[in-house]
Amino acid sequence: MSMSRTALLAGVVSLFFLPYSKAAAPAVRSEPLHVRIDRLIGIDQDFARYDAGLASDSEFLRRVHIDLAGYIPTSAQIRAFLADSAPDKRRRVIEQLLNSPEYARNMAQVFDVLLMERRPSRHVPQADWHEFLRQAFLNNRPWDEVVREILSGDGTDPKKRHRIKFFLERDSDPHLVSRDISRLLLGMNLQCAQCHDHPRIEDYRQEHYYGLFAFVSRTTAVQDKNKKLLLLSEKADGETTYQSVFDPKKITKTAVPRVPFGPALVEPLVDKAKLYVIAPAADVAAVPTFSRLARLAGAITQRDYLPFRRNLANRLWAHLMGRGLFEPFDNDHSANPPSHPEVLDLLAQELADNGFNIRAILRELALTKTYQRSSIPRPGTDAKQAPLYAIAVVKPLSPEQLAWSVMQATGLLESYRKAYGGKDPEGEAYRRLAPSAALFINAFANPPGQPQTFEPRTDQALLLANHPSLRSWLAPGSTLATRLNSLPLPTRVEELYLSVLGRLPDEEERKEATEFLTRQPKDIGDLAWALLTSPEFRFNH
Amino acid sequence: MHCNYACGSSDHLLSRRSFLTAAGGALGLGLLTQPSLARVLNGQQKRVLVIDLHGGVSQLETWDPKPGTNTGGPFQAIPTSVPGIHISELLPHTARQMHRMALVRSLNTAEDDHGKGAIIMNTGRRQEPGLTYPHLGSACARLLGDESNPLPGYINITPHGTGGVSVADAAFLGPRFAPVSLDDGKAPQNIDRPADLTAAAEQTRQLLRLRASERFLRRRRTAQTEAYTQTYDQAVGLMQKKHLFNTANEPEKLRDRYGRHDFGRHCLLARRLLEGGATFVKVTHTNYDTHHENFDFHLEQLGEFDLPFATLLEDLALRGLLDTTLVIVQSEFGRTPNINHLYGRDHWSRAWSVALAGCGIKGGAVVGKTNANGTAVVDREVNAGHLFHTYFKALGLDPKKNFYVEQRPIPLADPKASAITEILA
Amino acid sequence: MSFLAAPPTAPAIDPTKVREVSSWPHTSPLVCARFDPSGAFVFAGAQDNTIVRWTVPEGKKVVLTGHKSWVRSLAFSARDGLLFSGDYAGRLLAWPVAGDAPAPRWDITAHRGWIRALASSPDSRRLASCGNDHLVRLWHVPDGQPLRTLDGHDCHVYNVAFHPDGKWLASADLKGNVKVWDVERGECVRELDARILHKYDGVFRADIGGARGMAFDPEGKYLACCGITNVSNAFAGVGNPLVVLFDWASGKQKAQLKPRAPHQGTAWGVAIHPLGFILAAGGGNGGELWVWKPDDPLSWHTLKLAGNARDLSLHPKGRLVAIPCHDSRLRLYDLASAAR
Repeated sequence: MSMSRTALLAGVVSLFFLPYSKAAAPAVRSEPLHVRIDRLIGIDQDFARYDAGLASDSEFLRRVHIDLAGYIPTSAQIRAFLADSAPDKRRRVIEQLLNSPEYARNMAQVFDVLLMERRPSRHVPQADWHEFLRQAFLNNRPWDEVVREILSGDGTDPKKRHRIKFFLERDSDPHLVSRDISRLLLGMNLQCAQCHDHPRIEDYRQEHYYGLFAFVSRTTAVQDKNKKLLLLSEKADGETTYQSVFDPKKITKTAVPRVPFGPALVEPLVDKAKLYVIAPAADVAAVPTFSRLARLAGAITQRDYLPFRRNLANRLWAHLMGRGLFEPFDNDHSANPPSHPEVLDLLAQELADNGFNIRAILRELALTKTYQRSSIPRPGTDAKQAPLYAIAVVKPLSPEQLAWSVMQATGLLESYRKAYGGKDPEGEAYRRLAPSAALFINAFANPPGQPQTFEPRTDQALLLANHPSLRSWLAPGSTLATRLNSLPLPTRVEELYLSVLGRLPDEEERKEATEFLTRQPKDIGDLAWALLTSPEFRFNH
Repeated sequence: MHCNYACGSSDHLLSRRSFLTAAGGALGLGLLTQPSLARVLNGQQKRVLVIDLHGGVSQLETWDPKPGTNTGGPFQAIPTSVPGIHISELLPHTARQMHRMALVRSLNTAEDDHGKGAIIMNTGRRQEPGLTYPHLGSACARLLGDESNPLPGYINITPHGTGGVSVADAAFLGPRFAPVSLDDGKAPQNIDRPADLTAAAEQTRQLLRLRASERFLRRRRTAQTEAYTQTYDQAVGLMQKKHLFNTANEPEKLRDRYGRHDFGRHCLLARRLLEGGATFVKVTHTNYDTHHENFDFHLEQLGEFDLPFATLLEDLALRGLLDTTLVIVQSEFGRTPNINHLYGRDHWSRAWSVALAGCGIKGGAVVGKTNANGTAVVDREVNAGHLFHTYFKALGLDPKKNFYVEQRPIPLADPKASAITEILA
Repeated sequence: MSFLAAPPTAPAIDPTKVREVSSWPHTSPLVCARFDPSGAFVFAGAQDNTIVRWTVPEGKKVVLTGHKSWVRSLAFSARDGLLFSGDYAGRLLAWPVAGDAPAPRWDITAHRGWIRALASSPDSRRLASCGNDHLVRLWHVPDGQPLRTLDGHDCHVYNVAFHPDGKWLASADLKGNVKVWDVERGECVRELDARILHKYDGVFRADIGGARGMAFDPEGKYLACCGITNVSNAFAGVGNPLVVLFDWASGKQKAQLKPRAPHQGTAWGVAIHPLGFILAAGGGNGGELWVWKPDDPLSWHTLKLAGNARDLSLHPKGRLVAIPCHDSRLRLYDLASAAR
């Protein structure tokens, strides 16, 4: 009897609360972030029924290596991890990876692609820019500081041209710059709001577009004859005006610099005689006494301004979890709420509280059960009905992850590290193999200036099937074939599966592989190819 | 055979094996006959060619001119090879092909958004929450295509650098009917089998790959993992047909007539692919979204479209392919009769046109009328649903038949509409 | 040359004081305008295929019908009292300038496709036409006999202008190539570079360009070509108006004249005033009239117009400016500093 009354009460209570109700379990502030996140993610009452449980050790290790280091682990690393019986081995691996040079390189790549979208490096060498990012991640520099450098636009120091790259590779086109800042750093695509209030998104209005535009509209790129550099030249005057193409009255409005949904820039009155620090002249980059551009980065990274932190939180979440808390990544608005608003709020707040510490955020995210969950649906359940994150998302490897994982699987990375390593094995191997990686990256990357999407194409399959490079890495006499063929057959099969797929073969696989290699020992490369081109390799699961 | 992600069925495995061994028969799986070849020889195979004039082509500058009115703009109308039918002066060569073509001038799709307009024209229906309808290309690949046909069922020739259409086109039909995009119509790189790879070795490694893939897909099949696996089968198919991409073997004069620019080359490639057994080929000409200086830009773009298109129709006819190839010239919508302050025309879907030719279409037919200045349909208003009924009927299919998505019937075409019989042969 | 020089009885020309003095309605958007050489009339081509004539300054209106397409080219023979008009169907008509109901005298198919511009030689004995068939043609005035075809451009020819001394003809095409022809010999003697007025828009895959307006100064020292530059979106018209000023003797660009406050749109008409300043009008994101001093690339003065301007014509006496607008009105602006 009491059970049915309790059930009745629970039913009544559940009528009044939404699925993600805070009333279900109070958040405890002193709990680690990863615990709070798991609580919020698991709040759906169906969650337990569909919970796929934790991923296996080999699945976890492969996943976390790809996400943090940028490519798959070696067979030796996997064996060591599987053999380790310490209860906190996953935490230790996460910590180790976060402090590795591979992590810094990987994050530099990830944020390079995010910020520059593979635009060609016409004005600032890619190597300099990449090294700046890598150092930033190596030293875990606060991300708001890094963004303020990247958006400073000050290219006067030839050794610090990373400060101007964001602008120069976009030809300092104010429309393109403001559009990309809103899409890539603020989670809002304001492009459609250039000619009129956004036709479909209530929140995005012309004033938001032009408020941002007004920061950069006075700036152009100029080849400075004195400094002998391509620099940004900014005028001290010039107002931005706009009209809506849908407005029959054609009312013209003037834009005040203002980050979208943020405060307007307060501009001091400058003495007309002292408008410039460097006055405009032919082939001279003008520097005004009061620069709107110089205040842009500060405006978007300041603590109270939410969109920057929400966007960063969303991107970091997506990097590990395989989908954003809101999607698409540049559609943060009130009619497109995040799947788990409290989680996003939590992460955005944490960024403010921990000083934009990306490594700390990634650590907490990697420690969650949400991240470590298996991608195999619970037997007997319909995966299509499962609440989000009850089953881990199967995510395609990025072009970079795929390229470098191929080189790890084929043993190239290890052999280059050993052969050329010296004091900097990671850096040496990376530099020497980068051109080979580029071959794969280019085939899988979207065109420059476009966000990366997963669009499998026949030409990619043809590359992996027929290109001589990959064939040479799998041929008899290659590094991989030589190493494997020196092993006795049972170990050979294990090593093949560990090296390529990151796990031990099951019984059926052992049997089939052994039969095949007994019949056709010279063709181990074909078996390796088959594993390399299977979806198990292509995806992060 | 539709794709059910929960099933892990061996149907897929079998069909891919049969697909591979069509080329040659090792490993004891036997040589299969090639029914598609038989169908081609019997003249029974039907094909579809869609020319997408991307961006919203102006019906007033193409199929339904209104010279001398306040909306007509500066261009004149010209007579065509069919007495009584006039089209824009911007299409002189196409005008001479009018006896092969039919025009629908009374289209009202009530959707001025590029993306949504494209969905309506490509699926025959408005987008619905919870159900995505398949693209016409995927539907045709499924209904008209043959599993043993090495060419992908839906080929999309895209202008250089515009990127392909997405995996989502095939919707519930499954990624095997997703389009294969050919950027700038180029034969894909790496289309040649490596010299040191024998046919037998290629067979072996493909089977090994299939085996490994099936294992993974048994428990973690998603649209993405399927689509990825499919690309290898498509690759094998494309390799077998690589000669089709080489237009250099065509006579110089014909290549000149098609035109050496992108769209011309793509039209010639389309003809070769259709001739070579492709089921559905789409060629895109970009761009027509002329909010500014509509007349100059339509002059330029249609100047590029006119001769290659006319040449393509003529070429298909001469090769005896036109009777079995449905040709559709479409856009996402038309353009406003009102000329804006920038000499432009804006998006307009209330009264616009589509042109058809070929299989099942009555040449020289015009259906539907707009009023004197093109601002409204006054006779025989139709929407994309009617068009899809018409396409399927023209191809000898029954548009009232259903696809099945987990036992739920989905009619091929919108049941609220019907075929435009006036233009069916 | 002083900008404020003026005969003692007439008000001083002061472009910074320019203001609208007349606004004459038609029933269809206008696409071009020209004062006739006597200054008694202003003619405008309209989107209803007519040419509209108003008397200056009264504004009495007469509509000339006969064309079957838009007229964007107007020129005159002062000597014969003729108006020449070219339309977008390639037809060239001649009309008497005066009279209550002018009727066409010529009806020549001058070009295949659009006639984009007409220009009369200084002695009124020749008429030049240019168009979409890549050709420039010369016609005898007044009898309309074809004199010469100048073949050399490889794309639409947007504009033509005779040099004031009559020896040369300049023609400007879509891609910004300006050819200078020796009128007598019919040969291209040199080329000027106005390619900054052209862009191939790689996103929409179409060309935008051409000198929408073209004019010499009265002494033939300078040639101005105007249009749109810096185009980032050809199909939305995102770009900026520009006047390219050439030094005729050297053939080199002397200046690129821009509105001081950036404006989105196209400069459709340009004139160089006898007093030395340069005028242009255009539209896009609103209509504007700009005035430049020859030594400053940024405009000296800007007047916001009620709507997009489609052309500009300077009155022979140098005081009035005619601007045909998208809103169907022909507007006159007075450059003098005070009303009479």
